[in-house]
Amino acid sequence: MNYKEYAEKYKKISFYDQIRNNKLKSWLLLIIIVVVIIGLMFVISQVYDPTMVFTFLILGIIISLIYVFIGYYFSDKIALFTVNAHEATDKKYNHLNNMVEGLALAGGLPKPKVYIMPSQEINAFATGRTPEKGVVCVTEGCLTKLTDKELEGVLAHELTHIRNYDIRFVTLAIILVGLIAIISEIFLRSLWFSSGNGREGKNPMFLIIGIALAILAPIIANLVQLAISRKREYMADAGAVQLIRDNSGLISALKKIGNYYETNNKTVANKTLASMFIANPFSGKSITNLFSTHPPLSERIKILESM
Amino acid sequence: MFWWLWLIIAVVALIIILLIYYFNKIVVLSNRIDNAFSQINVQLKKRNDLIPNLVATVKGYAKHEKGIFEELAKARAEMTKAGSLDAKFKASDMLSNALKSIFAIAENYPILKANENFKELQQELSDIESKIAYTRQFFNDSILFYNNTVTTFPGTIFAGIFGKQKKDYLQITQAERQNVKVEF
Repeated sequence: MNYKEYAEKYKKISFYDQIRNNKLKSWLLLIIIVVVIIGLMFVISQVYDPTMVFTFLILGIIISLIYVFIGYYFSDKIALFTVNAHEATDKKYNHLNNMVEGLALAGGLPKPKVYIMPSQEINAFATGRTPEKGVVCVTEGCLTKLTDKELEGVLAHELTHIRNYDIRFVTLAIILVGLIAIISEIFLRSLWFSSGNGREGKNPMFLIIGIALAILAPIIANLVQLAISRKREYMADAGAVQLIRDNSGLISALKKIGNYYETNNKTVANKTLASMFIANPFSGKSITNLFSTHPPLSERIKILESM
Repeated sequence: MFWWLWLIIAVVALIIILLIYYFNKIVVLSNRIDNAFSQINVQLKKRNDLIPNLVATVKGYAKHEKGIFEELAKARAEMTKAGSLDAKFKASDMLSNALKSIFAIAENYPILKANENFKELQQELSDIESKIAYTRQFFNDSILFYNNTVTTFPGTIFAGIFGKQKKDYLQITQAERQNVKVEF
């Protein structure tokens, strides 16, 4: 098959459209989160005096700026530190580094750094805000339990996360979700302390709305963030196939990962990191629901097989 | 001010913006093709540089396999002097085939096969082969993007104005895709 036929074939599936479309939808989801924050602020200001809102806003802005700054600039280092990863500079990792470089060349990306997690489970994640700062991190288990072809599928999946700026986007989404949780918490706690003094004459309806929002907003934001996370996984699977021009490696890698976590549940990941991995180490069962970070492996395999 | 004057100004501004947009887009896309091409060259050169090492190692164990060394040397020389894209890839294919035969021959020499240095070279060369395949794929992807822009409306109008034409893909044959991975 020459390249023209490849091009025709891939035009039909139209990865480029799919990726563009998904990017658009993800931005939409992010806008929803921002609207929720603004709504929350508005309702809070209706419940309290304007002067009090002012202090809260300034305090909130300072805390959230520090929070966003740390989350945005140190998320990669924090993640690598948490899983105790080391850089794959040893000679025995030459082949792995070459594979990553090859895939980076295929995607027109700078070669990301490669890190190793000392764990026998089969999993991988990518981090770094921009492709220039990209890091791909795989477990020792990936190297011993997967064939070259399967490992290539996993690496291509991670590289697609880097190329699509998924990491930046998902990091921002996680940060915003955290912010909403903090704002709600502050609001609910402040109600507790200030109850009874000088709230006569305020609209009680806003108070009820405020409490309801403060309870619901973090949950809704969390669900939106998880939906973004699941969508990104499908996109990264599609992108991996586009890079390698073959789906068999990733399919059989996902099957192996699924089998592994059915019988083992030890993992280096914690709950926050789970959403970054190629497969969620905590979801042994393959049912999807609103609270999953990843779509079920069986569903991903089915879609991959149709490509 | 007359309303039609504003209209003319708006139309002219729109045309200028579109011209700038498409000019930049076409330049960016063709720069990407040049970049992809230089990436191919980097990998081809890396492979060429490893061949003397490989020959020295293999010669230590299989001195009398003269035919294959000649073939390798010839392909490598062709590779170095090839100027055009076509000549380059012809030589590159020749070199890939020669390497394939040398690794096939090595199967007959257990001591050579067990040599640490040889194993490393074989792995490295096999990795470079797949990198070459990937750089060629990226080259073609870049051409696909470029061609899509200069052949579809309205890009085709601007491509016409700037005198930019469709570019040719590199042919990637079925056989070539199969020997991307050197089996051992």
